[in-house]
Amino acid sequence: MEKDGFFNNEGNWNSIFGMGMGMEMESQVSELNWDNPMDQSDPFESALSSIVSSPVNSHPGIPNSGGENVVLKELVGRLGIICNSGEISPQSCIGKNNSTNTSCYNTPLNSPPKIHGNSIPRNHQLPPALFPADPGFVERAARLSCFGMKESAFKTAEFPIAIPASDKKLDDSMEESSLSEQISNGETGIKGQITYSNDRKRKAIPKGKGKESQSSTLSAKVNKTVGGPEKEVSDAKRSKLDEERNGIGKEKEEGNQKQTKENAKPEPPKDYIHVRARRGQATDSHSLAERVRREKISERMKFLQDLVPGCNKVTGKAVMLDEIITYVQSLQKQVEFLSMKLATINPRTDMNMEAVLSKDTQASMLNTMNHLDALAQPFYATAHDGPGNPLTAMMHCGPNMKSSQIDGFGEASLFWGNDLQSVVQTGFSQNQGPSFHGTMGTGQMKVEL
Amino acid sequence: MSPPQQPSSTNPNSLKIRLTHRFLHNLNNLNKKRSNLDNTQIHRRSHRVKLAAYASMARVVGSRRAWSRAILWKIRNRKVFTRNKRVDHKTTHHHHLARSIKRRTTNHSNHKREYVDPNGNSGQEVKLRKLVPGVETMDACGLLDETADYIKCLATQVEVMRNLVDLYSTI
Repeated sequence: MEKDGFFNNEGNWNSIFGMGMGMEMESQVSELNWDNPMDQSDPFESALSSIVSSPVNSHPGIPNSGGENVVLKELVGRLGIICNSGEISPQSCIGKNNSTNTSCYNTPLNSPPKIHGNSIPRNHQLPPALFPADPGFVERAARLSCFGMKESAFKTAEFPIAIPASDKKLDDSMEESSLSEQISNGETGIKGQITYSNDRKRKAIPKGKGKESQSSTLSAKVNKTVGGPEKEVSDAKRSKLDEERNGIGKEKEEGNQKQTKENAKPEPPKDYIHVRARRGQATDSHSLAERVRREKISERMKFLQDLVPGCNKVTGKAVMLDEIITYVQSLQKQVEFLSMKLATINPRTDMNMEAVLSKDTQASMLNTMNHLDALAQPFYATAHDGPGNPLTAMMHCGPNMKSSQIDGFGEASLFWGNDLQSVVQTGFSQNQGPSFHGTMGTGQMKVEL
Repeated sequence: MSPPQQPSSTNPNSLKIRLTHRFLHNLNNLNKKRSNLDNTQIHRRSHRVKLAAYASMARVVGSRRAWSRAILWKIRNRKVFTRNKRVDHKTTHHHHLARSIKRRTTNHSNHKREYVDPNGNSGQEVKLRKLVPGVETMDACGLLDETADYIKCLATQVEVMRNLVDLYSTI
């Protein structure tokens, strides 16, 4: 090296600071000379001795720059190693050094050119070509100062580079999530909630990873990270998104669901009603089918609740079933009782068949007593035989008197015979309240009229 | 009297009307067939009236429902049996015979009447299956369906009969 050759004379310097540091020593020497023009010889020797003996300690005789120089010498040593390998642009670094002293100060590698830089402002003079023999060294030194910055800047630069990427990915994912949100907005509200949670997860995923591509990663992430309940939803969404991209429209939901069902789990489509797994519930095929079955049953139970009177407050399948059983039994007993009544009451219906039929249809349609009152008159002519006679007699007297219905029925039951009596009375006792009152009400109305 | 129509809807009013028609029709037939003494054969008459009520109910509903089919089947078998019974001219023995023959020729949907279901059916479901005809082998879902329809028809039938009774009681 030129430097080596240049400083071959000063063997001890070379030995202390290595091969390439001769230049620095020379600069320092010149600096020393320049700093202390009065002490040219003594400071020189003292500086040399100080440099040689204790490179770290700052000599009192030597000004601050000397201390700096000592530190810088260390850095120069390091620099020498780096200088051989690195390439530094001198101008920019020098300029940098001039402008940002502190920033260069932080990096020890920047010290050598700092020497030049510090010396420059302090000494108000820049030896532009301090080492005209080796501008390359200066270049290298300058570059080295920037090298450290570059290194640090490199690390910081990575983030800006990475952040846009991740942001981009995030934006894309957000875009997709918004797209999926749009899609899901068309769906039911429950699904919208599910998509919202899904979006949250999707946003977290690129933040964490931030390195996967869009569509594939969406499904991949979803398949990996999202749990069981949301899997179907996200799969449906993914397939929906794919289809949106493909431009296929409408009526793909069933196909999607079918596809997702088939993709998610190998369930044979039992019903042709496609069920979507709800959030927080198992997506096992068995449990899904069971849930469908349970929902059907609950639907029917609700319908039964409307049919059976007085079951609005009852909740629960067991109690409901009890009520239903009781009601069916009561209905069947009523039929039995009424059939018995009918069997005894109307032995002769063929005469008034048409009239009864017409009037009865009216009655069943309107369910009012006015028509029956009109009917009552012609029926008085056809009195019942046997047990009917006292009945008709009673009925004749009926409109005139306002006897209690229980008495009237009691008398009728007496006339109907012992067998009937017990049955009728038991029937009365067995009868539910409403039916009893119903008959009483109608009978009472008739009697009054 | 015109035979009852078979509309698809089960509108309660139309159902009631149809039930009334059919029931009265059956009652008329019943009353025309035999002239039973009121006192002695009250039971039989009431039983027949009851059968007529159920038959009219089932006829109106038709074969759409399992319970109606079961009832019709039962009545058909009973009719066959009663025909045999009349031929045999037996009175007290009839009931035993009826039951035995009924058991042998029982409805294929009813032959599991005494069968206790080990499928996890609750005691209530078993009771319900006994109450509603023709739902022995159905699953819980269909059972509830049939029960709902049965309740509806039963309630309508009861109402019709009550109206009739009220009508006839004014005589």
